[in-house]
Amino acid sequence: MSNENITQEDIAAILPKVAEIIADALGCDVEEVKPNASLINDLGAESIDFLDIIFRLERGFKVKIPRGKIVEQARGSLSEAEFETAGVVSDAGVARLKEYLSEVPADRFKTPMKSAEIPKLFTAETFCKLVIRQQRAGAAGAGPA
Amino acid sequence: MDGHFSAFSFVDRITRPGLHVRGLYQIPSGISEFPLALAAEACGQLAAWTAMATHEFKLRPVAGIAPVIELLTRVHPGQTLELEAEIESLDAEAVSYSAVAKVHGMPVLRLENCVGPMVALEDFDDPQAVKQRFELICNGGAVPGAFRGVPPIGLKFTGGEKGKNVSAILHVPAQADFFADHFPRRPVFPGTLFMHKVLELAGRVADDVPVPQKNLAWVARRINDSKLRAFMPPGGSLEFEARLAKQEGDALTIQVEARKGNKVTGHSKIVFRAEEQA
Repeated sequence: MSNENITQEDIAAILPKVAEIIADALGCDVEEVKPNASLINDLGAESIDFLDIIFRLERGFKVKIPRGKIVEQARGSLSEAEFETAGVVSDAGVARLKEYLSEVPADRFKTPMKSAEIPKLFTAETFCKLVIRQQRAGAAGAGPA
Repeated sequence: MDGHFSAFSFVDRITRPGLHVRGLYQIPSGISEFPLALAAEACGQLAAWTAMATHEFKLRPVAGIAPVIELLTRVHPGQTLELEAEIESLDAEAVSYSAVAKVHGMPVLRLENCVGPMVALEDFDDPQAVKQRFELICNGGAVPGAFRGVPPIGLKFTGGEKGKNVSAILHVPAQADFFADHFPRRPVFPGTLFMHKVLELAGRVADDVPVPQKNLAWVARRINDSKLRAFMPPGGSLEFEARLAKQEGDALTIQVEARKGNKVTGHSKIVFRAEEQA
């Protein structure tokens, strides 16, 4: 899990295409897809839209994206119990999320944060990073997660 | 459970199960019409059988995203649909597939890269009954001819500007035979009937757009970027708006959006071509 190695240049290189894909999926203008706009809060995305975006990214970038596992990836080495209890993300979990979703402004991480609210954090940059990770995993021969 | 596996079931027989699934559906000869949207339903149901069997009848897909639907040729009562679906990916969250329906080996409808989100099967249907049905259609097949057609589902036109846009309200019937099959435990207005109404509404806009030559008429040939974002329960209503989005030469695109209050519940882009009238 090497977010840290993903540079702003890496993100900028694919952001236009990712933004276009997101705009197509959400039926909005590409100009509305700001790099750190929340897809749910700012652009009205729903769970079906995330599925749509993931499949479009897979086709657009020829990568396999681990559906439904973004949060699992974000959890990293933390166990489920360490990450959340009764649907509420632990302090350690929030710290881990801040690291994994480093593109998300810090003030969007609420305390306490419900697990169900994690997708509200996702931005266009989140999906850029997702694509880059999978591209790198593919290039390294690790295959899709 | 009157109507289960008959009122809205469009796979009589699976001739090759698996990820490259093949099947057949005989359109009953006694019905007045069989909209092409129901051929799309048949393709989706074929893919759904593979998805449900793979998940041991714990999960089932529902209609979600159809990036491309090609409407090639009308189908008629009495014809047999040869159905083929290629499952592109399948997991606990979604199934992705492309499919084709053919008549006498000629494609009549194609679906590309469709995505059906997974839901718990037991919330919608009796898993044991569904499993038994799968065994039946994989081993000899069901007796064809059970479908009796869909009842008229009217759009109430509420306004618009000729050749530019049309608005309408769709009242989902409170009761209809197809709800017994789609689905017994949680009746939902089928996405493909929604698509059928979208085509009707888009056609209403197209009818008032001048064609490039007198002997031509606009024919819906493709549906792009179709997405359903909410279930439509019996008795509900949706506000539709269709508007001319683009016209270039012999093609025009009409965008259709369905809303429930402020929420967009579905949308599609319909591409029409100017073709000689049959």
